[in-house]
Amino acid sequence: MQSIINSIVKNRNLILYLTLSIISFNSLYTNSSVHYNGIGKIATYLSGKSSFFSSSIDSYFNLKEKNKKLIDENLKLKEIELEYKNQIVENKSFNSISIINANVIFNSINKSKNIMVIDKGTNGGVDEEMGVISSKGVIGIIKSVTENYASIISLLNTDLKVNAILKNSSTIGSITWDGLNPKILKLNDIPLSSSIKIGDTIVTGGMSFYFTKGIPIGTISNYDNSSLEGYYEIDISVFNDFSSISNIYVIERTDNDEIKILLND
Amino acid sequence: MIREQLRNIFFYTIILVFQLFVFNHINLVGFITPFIYLIIFIHYKTSYNKTTLIFLGFIVGIIVDLSMQTYGSHTFATITICYLRTWIEKYSFGVNSNLPSAMINGTQLINRLRFFGLIIFIHSLIYYSLVFFNIELFWTIVLNIIINSIITFIVIWLISQLISNK
Repeated sequence: MQSIINSIVKNRNLILYLTLSIISFNSLYTNSSVHYNGIGKIATYLSGKSSFFSSSIDSYFNLKEKNKKLIDENLKLKEIELEYKNQIVENKSFNSISIINANVIFNSINKSKNIMVIDKGTNGGVDEEMGVISSKGVIGIIKSVTENYASIISLLNTDLKVNAILKNSSTIGSITWDGLNPKILKLNDIPLSSSIKIGDTIVTGGMSFYFTKGIPIGTISNYDNSSLEGYYEIDISVFNDFSSISNIYVIERTDNDEIKILLND
Repeated sequence: MIREQLRNIFFYTIILVFQLFVFNHINLVGFITPFIYLIIFIHYKTSYNKTTLIFLGFIVGIIVDLSMQTYGSHTFATITICYLRTWIEKYSFGVNSNLPSAMINGTQLINRLRFFGLIIFIHSLIYYSLVFFNIELFWTIVLNIIINSIITFIVIWLISQLISNK
């Protein structure tokens, strides 16, 4: 107590100065509209800045949750998009497609038969021979499934052949990989009679059990029309960067069984 | 002692009367009003109590504010220079700042110039910043501070010479 009194006595001039300053500012604030508005503006600015600061900290800590929400939302939108395309192009009913979100936990790009592993398996609704895409385009096809994991044959696998078309002319071909450059795929079976140019977009053709029509794959980066076989040799610059894929969608076509029955008959 | 205090009060009153009834009505080139009342704080003896000086600054500031309808700008400027006076003295007079008697007599001219200049400049700086209170008028504020400081300085310097000679 004594020390408090001592420090008050010691700093009496400062205390007096601050008190009188507050009195003069109060007088300015209450009597002069210029100062009233000015101080009001400063107060608004400070409170705005401080709440911006606190909200940005807050949003940083909520990033994980927001990320999850965005992925879920994306999933729904992707489903609607594919469903919509499917309906227009193939005039099929809704609900013929469902989408499962998964994260990549293993990925290789430096072999000739590259595979990926994702964190969803039969428990998550994933089954063999389902198509896999990312937000940018086609990734590959589910090869084998366990309860909690699934492996994917990615486009960067010399065994995989995916049905594809030129977006503009609907000429049908197939996508393969020659095992060399992970950014370049090959488009085969395009006859020399069809007209193509560099920059043309290649999308899935829809003539498979795996992918619906219109999912992007890449653009034509180079082509050679000197082949004697009557087909172009086309290089495709792929949309996906296979070295940095983390989030993928597995497409399930619920009408596959129906089609298979027809084919078996 | 009482006689000295009465004399001081008489001196403060005379200066305030001059400020309120003469200098407040002077508007050189439209906006310059010399604040001669600052002489009270310049001539306040260092041996006197600092707390009293702050109170004196508050009372004088309120009186000038009321007469000029500036609502507290003068008050804040004067209490600030009263509060800062110890540091201004030390900065201006250095080791001689603890002189027991008046500040003015027996000190070097350059030190006095610095002391007068600092008190007047700090006062003008605070006063005009508060009166305009608008960053968009920055150059107007700077112009007012400089010109008014110079004019106030000249007037106060002349009055000081007059008092000292007496």
